[in-house]
Amino acid sequence: MFASPVKLVLVALLCAGCAVARSADLYVICNSRVQLTSTDVRDLFLGEKQFAGALKLVPVDNSVAQTVFLEKVLKMNAAKYSTTWIKKAFRDGINPPLVMGSDIEAVAYVKRTPGACSYVTTPDGQDVVVISRL
Amino acid sequence: MSTAAQPRARRARLLVAALCLPGLGHSPASYAAADDTGRIAVLEQKLDESLRLIRELSARVHELEARTPEAGTAVAAASAGAAVAPANQPETAQRLAVVEQTVNQMVASSGQHGDDSGMPLHGFADVGIGNHNAAFSQYQGADVGSLDFFLTPRLGSRTRALFELNFEVGADSAVGVDLERAQIGYQVGDSTTVWVGRFHTPYGYYNTAFHHGQQIAISLRRPRFIEFEDHGGIMPAHTVGVWVTGSERIGDEKLTYDLYAGNGQRIVGGILDMNNAGNTHGSAIVGGNLGLLLGGSLDGLKIGLDAFQTRIEDQGQSPSYFTRVKSYGTYAAYDTDSWEGIAEFDVFNDQDLTGSTGAHSSDAGFIQLGYRGGRYTPYTRYERGAFQQADHFFAAQTNGSSYVRAALGLRFDLDLVSALKLELAQTRLTDRVIRSYDEILMQYAIRF
Repeated sequence: MFASPVKLVLVALLCAGCAVARSADLYVICNSRVQLTSTDVRDLFLGEKQFAGALKLVPVDNSVAQTVFLEKVLKMNAAKYSTTWIKKAFRDGINPPLVMGSDIEAVAYVKRTPGACSYVTTPDGQDVVVISRL
Repeated sequence: MSTAAQPRARRARLLVAALCLPGLGHSPASYAAADDTGRIAVLEQKLDESLRLIRELSARVHELEARTPEAGTAVAAASAGAAVAPANQPETAQRLAVVEQTVNQMVASSGQHGDDSGMPLHGFADVGIGNHNAAFSQYQGADVGSLDFFLTPRLGSRTRALFELNFEVGADSAVGVDLERAQIGYQVGDSTTVWVGRFHTPYGYYNTAFHHGQQIAISLRRPRFIEFEDHGGIMPAHTVGVWVTGSERIGDEKLTYDLYAGNGQRIVGGILDMNNAGNTHGSAIVGGNLGLLLGGSLDGLKIGLDAFQTRIEDQGQSPSYFTRVKSYGTYAAYDTDSWEGIAEFDVFNDQDLTGSTGAHSSDAGFIQLGYRGGRYTPYTRYERGAFQQADHFFAAQTNGSSYVRAALGLRFDLDLVSALKLELAQTRLTDRVIRSYDEILMQYAIRF
């Protein structure tokens, strides 16, 4: 039988492992008033799709999951993403997505902002819609 | 809470703290290398926030335990090493994992929040050193390039505005201020935006993809023939008028279009002027650009055609001399994580409207290729302009002579927002004046 501190560490490692495993999943979420499909996600985060019907879309980056999102969805690295948006802003006069620092912040922003969409590692089912799971 | 529950709660708090410690420890460690006082201050602030969050989460766990004694028992039992009810372990682990993940996310949060203040301000600047000035070859030594402020105010869901104010050194070595762009637009939808004001004339690819912000361009300077008007460009880089632009997705591909009309340009003192206040003779520039962004295995490739027609007045003559300028162009651009290739070719069919020299045909083009190998981006460019000197449109412009230029350069990205560029170039002027000069140029360009 292990001593209790050892068990404590084992439980902690187990939990950390669970967290790591869960972080591999990404969910694109939008405000509940937004109607989009998974095929719109790329255009949305590159500023090519700015409206869903009459609703102005507001893409929001989540720094915690951004690297994985860029790799899986936009197929580009952070430097290219930044440059792409600078060029976009320079040509089209639109601004890059706001950047949230955590799932909590991203979900809170999406919930309170009509047209907002972001991506998170843990979906919150209340008041947001999951557009796609990656 | 009963006295029996207090040890359990204490153990639960200890467990949460134990789970959080690696995250807390990791974050400062990862930033320790950064010798930046401001960053350390931000990290300290984040740490304080994280500790506050831990206290809040501990209180929350405490509260949940009070509400659900079974779960609390499971946590306590696990930490005490006593017999644990197997059914409760996964639930507890899951909850704790979520708590840990939340805390770690807060700790890892970089604080890189976007500016939601309503008035984003961007800027670009560059300085250089060389045996010639990159824009005005008569100068040598160190030079100030430009300081460019770029504003895109948030105005609502459909109204857009874009202003670009540029402080730059001119041919007379004096600093001048130019409102390079002042355009206000209405976005009808994803496929249509209507702009009114002064904008980059949407011919080819380069003129709208790159402008005064040299930091975003791989190369040290623009191709000579599509330079800005006051830097010796021989094409109307800016137009004051109306511009309708947009795109439409067709399967994996995307069709882009631009239609524009504005004040016809004039030539004053050998330099093209875009007639900001309107023109006095009713001439107009009218043009369009049709592009196709390819998808699938050709993702990153754009090809297109463009054309414009205008009537240019040379006010250096008395009476003024008029030339009808027709330009037809084609372009291709390939932009990926690693490669950037751009090629443009323009043909000019101009008609003398005042004299009797008739029609003239000229052409110009360039091809550029760069490879992004990490922080180093070597690039090469070849460009050529063959301008008929019997064509008054070119003859009247200070830099309207034919030329050939080859360049080899290296860009080094110091970080995401600043770059050092070194370029070796040879330029041969081939008709009005026959001469050749070699250049060694260095540029330090930033954006902010």
